[in-house]
Amino acid sequence: MTAAFTARASAALTDPTLKTAIERTTGNARAKRAAAVAAWPGFEAARDLGRDIKDHVTQNLAFYLATFERNAIASGAHVHWARTADEACEIVVRLCREAGAHSVTRAKSMLGEEIGLPHALEAAGITRVETDLAEHIVQLAGDRPSHIVWPALHKTREQVREMFARLHHEPGGLDTVEAMVASARRELRQKFMQADVGISGANFLIADTGAVCTVTNEGNAELTTTPPRLHIVTAGIEKLVPSTAHAMSLLRLLVRSATGAELTQYTTFHCGPKRANDPDGPSEFHIVLVDNGRTRMLTQGLEDMLRCLRCGACLNHCVVYRQIGGHAYGGTYPGPMGAVLTPVLDGLKTAQDLPRACTLNGLCAEVCPVKIPLPTLIKGWRDKSWRLGLEPRAATLALRLWRLAAQHPPLYRLGTRLALPLLRRFARTGWARTLPLAGGWTAARDFPAPARKTFLDQLKERRK
Amino acid sequence: MTARDEIFAALPRAASANPHADAAALLARVPALRPARVGPDPVASFLARLTGPVIAATAERLATRAEIPAAVRSYLAANQLAPRLALQPSAALQTLDWSGIAALPTIAVDEPVSVCEADYAVAETASLVFRSGPHMPTLFAFLPLHHIVVLEAAKILPWLEDAAALEATRPAPRNLNFVTGASGTTDIEGTLVRGAHGPAHLHVLLIGGQIAALAPQPANVP
Repeated sequence: MTAAFTARASAALTDPTLKTAIERTTGNARAKRAAAVAAWPGFEAARDLGRDIKDHVTQNLAFYLATFERNAIASGAHVHWARTADEACEIVVRLCREAGAHSVTRAKSMLGEEIGLPHALEAAGITRVETDLAEHIVQLAGDRPSHIVWPALHKTREQVREMFARLHHEPGGLDTVEAMVASARRELRQKFMQADVGISGANFLIADTGAVCTVTNEGNAELTTTPPRLHIVTAGIEKLVPSTAHAMSLLRLLVRSATGAELTQYTTFHCGPKRANDPDGPSEFHIVLVDNGRTRMLTQGLEDMLRCLRCGACLNHCVVYRQIGGHAYGGTYPGPMGAVLTPVLDGLKTAQDLPRACTLNGLCAEVCPVKIPLPTLIKGWRDKSWRLGLEPRAATLALRLWRLAAQHPPLYRLGTRLALPLLRRFARTGWARTLPLAGGWTAARDFPAPARKTFLDQLKERRK
Repeated sequence: MTARDEIFAALPRAASANPHADAAALLARVPALRPARVGPDPVASFLARLTGPVIAATAERLATRAEIPAAVRSYLAANQLAPRLALQPSAALQTLDWSGIAALPTIAVDEPVSVCEADYAVAETASLVFRSGPHMPTLFAFLPLHHIVVLEAAKILPWLEDAAALEATRPAPRNLNFVTGASGTTDIEGTLVRGAHGPAHLHVLLIGGQIAALAPQPANVP
């Protein structure tokens, strides 16, 4: 493990409130998802369908991108293309500048986080107002999101109360969570209406209409995208679906997997700018389609990952995420999906620890609504890391020793015969409280005493 | 090369000879695997889900549209709200008798109440559908604290796919909003709070249909 990752993970493990905070939100999400899945006998068949819809799009991506572009332009939208994160940010910042924008409202978008849009807007001197409640909390704290669905799950209500009391204009009483939400509602109300530009992401891009689908429970996406003069969408090119009907099948999977609900409170299809006689809506509608590594994933054996709906179920169920939370992963995307995506975005050298910080228990693949084989993809990165010589020396040495022994049975038998009595000396009570070279294990749990004789020796005796 | 050209150049040749046919074949699998959420009577399914514990909206049934203003008056009185509201600028609502209520055709940022008519609804998810247009400003469904929605019982479609099929026959509006309950957030310690940015209360006035036969049913009946 690299020092940076170890430091982040250690900080998370010693945080006195983090684990409780993670369990509160993810435990709730797991229970609600389980109930929603139990109530749907066709869920397995629906996952197969979800996988097949996304695979069909990935295999015909050029066709659907061209169809989407044509229909979006016909609806009055402007379509922009960006190869990289920087290119995408430049387009958004240029559009904001051309519009003379002072203030920009943003509805939470993982793609926006991925390309570093919050930072790019600030660097350009444009006031950024995050409107999703969790992103608002994260922005006030000068913090980073730690979950893709609940970005502020690492904050306790006491921390939120203290921040709102200090930074909101009319905080009022903040004794309850209800009062805190009401304070945020007051704080953001005028900002929604005064923004020059509203920026959202996309949960789906609908090829046959050119529309962009967003899902929220707060209603902040529509309040972000309706009042300003410009609505800018930033979306990854993998978000395409053939039609609105295909989006419905994926929405059933996405929402149940994310929150356990059957549909989000607000599911909106945004299509083009305000029409001639519409009383509200933006006069310009821009869609920035972003590659940022996605076409590369097609050639790296990572095309399955392009199915990802960003539901967060793999995070909620991951035994590692539940211990260390999102910040320890160091990238935009935490948990199992982050262990696959971050090496694409930040490079394997930087993100080499993420595929290693995985138990390969397979729970993420079991809950993934589009059946992404996450453990297989994570193993793929480990394999690549080994071949590139990025594996830590101790691990490499240990594996080479084991290979040597495994290929020479007499050596293997000698090694186990020598190790057994040694291990038993440390475990006179049946359990070893300390072991040389295994302090990491015995710091938090005991190690069981091994059998008196090796498996092969016992077998030989019984066959006598 | 432009960014667009470069992205297209990096994509493999399309795998399907006929993507439309393949996409349609995928949809043919949907009816067999959908969750059993719509009973023989979609209106009953819709009402049970809308007023059930998850969505927890309120609803009342009216025989005719003429009863709408009186129902709104009682709602305002019951919730101790002033006799003032933003009324969706549609002829079908504006021509009703709103005497005694200041019914405005525009909406203020902190408007306590708005009254809108849903274009249609979906029984599967108890979603109310609004299509933006000259007579439906999008903000009417998002700014108020109390959102009162008129819905004709005859306009309840069974499944989400029925909504998609209907939309495929019409020109797309700027915003097609599926509203499923009042606004909510679980962003602070996973605690559900209503009225995050959008309405905190959703009340549906369901018009017509066989009122006696279609009383709300327990939530576990599809």
